[in-house]
Amino acid sequence: MADATSQAPAEPSNEVMLKLESLHKRFGDVHVLRGVDLEVHRGKVVCVLGPSGSGKSTLLRCINLLEPPDEGRIFLEGEEITGSAPRELDIVRRRIGMVFQQFNLFPNKSAIENVSLAQQRVLGREGDEARKKSHGLLERVGLADKVDEYPERLSGGQQQRVAIARALAMDPHVMLFDEVTSALDPELIKEVLDAMRELAEEGMTMVVVTHEMGFAREVADHVMFMDEGVVVEEGPPAEVLEHCREERTRRFLGLVLER
Amino acid sequence: MDFILEYYFDLSLMADEFDRVLDGFWITVKLSVISGVLALVWGLVLAVLRQLPGKPLAPVRGLAIAYIDAFRGIPLLLVLFLVSGALSAFQAQDVIPREIGLPTFFGQTSPFWYGVLALTLTYGAYMAEVYRAGIEAVPGGQMEAARSLGMGHGKAMRFVVVPQAVRKVIPPLLNDFIALMKDTSLVSVLGAIEVVQAGRDVQSEFFNGSALVLGALFFLIVTIPLARIVDRLIARQQGRVERGGPAAPTAGGPAPAAG
Repeated sequence: MADATSQAPAEPSNEVMLKLESLHKRFGDVHVLRGVDLEVHRGKVVCVLGPSGSGKSTLLRCINLLEPPDEGRIFLEGEEITGSAPRELDIVRRRIGMVFQQFNLFPNKSAIENVSLAQQRVLGREGDEARKKSHGLLERVGLADKVDEYPERLSGGQQQRVAIARALAMDPHVMLFDEVTSALDPELIKEVLDAMRELAEEGMTMVVVTHEMGFAREVADHVMFMDEGVVVEEGPPAEVLEHCREERTRRFLGLVLER
Repeated sequence: MDFILEYYFDLSLMADEFDRVLDGFWITVKLSVISGVLALVWGLVLAVLRQLPGKPLAPVRGLAIAYIDAFRGIPLLLVLFLVSGALSAFQAQDVIPREIGLPTFFGQTSPFWYGVLALTLTYGAYMAEVYRAGIEAVPGGQMEAARSLGMGHGKAMRFVVVPQAVRKVIPPLLNDFIALMKDTSLVSVLGAIEVVQAGRDVQSEFFNGSALVLGALFFLIVTIPLARIVDRLIARQQGRVERGGPAAPTAGGPAPAAG
């Protein structure tokens, strides 16, 4: 399994990067995911929409097994990762970057230390090498002048871009975004979405849980609408967002677009 | 009235016996520092054992909890008697080597080392609870972010959670240290001539308590500045919170059923 991390992604672009088969997740009596299937091809962006409580975030957290699903299987680059031993999972997770709604930056570390920590402690990169890489990534998300700032001195949008750089530092093959703009002031949302848009253009495979319809319409290759733990409707963004077939989707989109 | 003054504040007796009381206080300081450092380490070990994840490790967690409950719930004096009695009895029976049963490391007496052991055992349990509070005060999102970057539980604790937790609990740990320092006086029951015992020896020789008052002053010289340091650290921590703190809310933990 460790070998796969170093393999160059040279497969054809229609290769299935991530595949979920009938995922189920329960929290006590609450059946949060009721059989979700998904295929994400390399370099594609999937946006997951749906009302809160629909299971979108849980789905994302199941993909990198922060929450182990109760039933169903997950395949990453063709190999099943469900049922991996804990140590194998730690290695699998290097290939899956995740960005959180609440940023979850390490508050006692500067921006560059945030980005460098796992490179050094997980990948075993030397300090200089890690810092160089971190510097490049922070520059890429427009924070070259903030490398030594601590999270408390950064705006929400800046923190979230540091979090994106931190995830990218592990050279992930897939990136998961969990409502990453929901905790941001409106004027800060754009800078984060722009960073994500750039990432998508560079060919990163992404699964994005979001309420940003504009982003979904412009950037997504595939849109999935979830409600009550099932996929209600999915397809190309134009189809799902403009000509949805399901009443539930229409009602949700109506509510979101009214805002 | 004069009698009372003379009983407590006989300055010439204090001067005559100053060295004797100071020698005792020196033992008190050594007992405090050695036991304090060992308890800090042992307490952290217990706290980390208590937080180990997963079902297979449940017995380890259970043992750690049982230990902490036991040693928090019995008097230090009792532990002192158990330790000193057992060790000297075991070595008399040749169950354990003499150097362990009647320890005299670094020129200190056996009662001194029995005291160090009992204080470490007891205060390790207290400090474990302090560390636990600190670990639990670190938002769950920190552990998740670390895990999502490929760190195992151990690395995530070591590089992300524990450093933040320790920072939060320095003031209560210092408070425990003050308590530990005062409790070193109990080691006198085993025959260690620490400051209280030195004062009592003078008291019974001269029917005068001034040496005990002198000993009390020695304590205060150390404990009052420590208490001020604790106050200042707490004020600084609160100041940081009031200034707005990090943009990420402290309740950054997951809300699994949401989204």
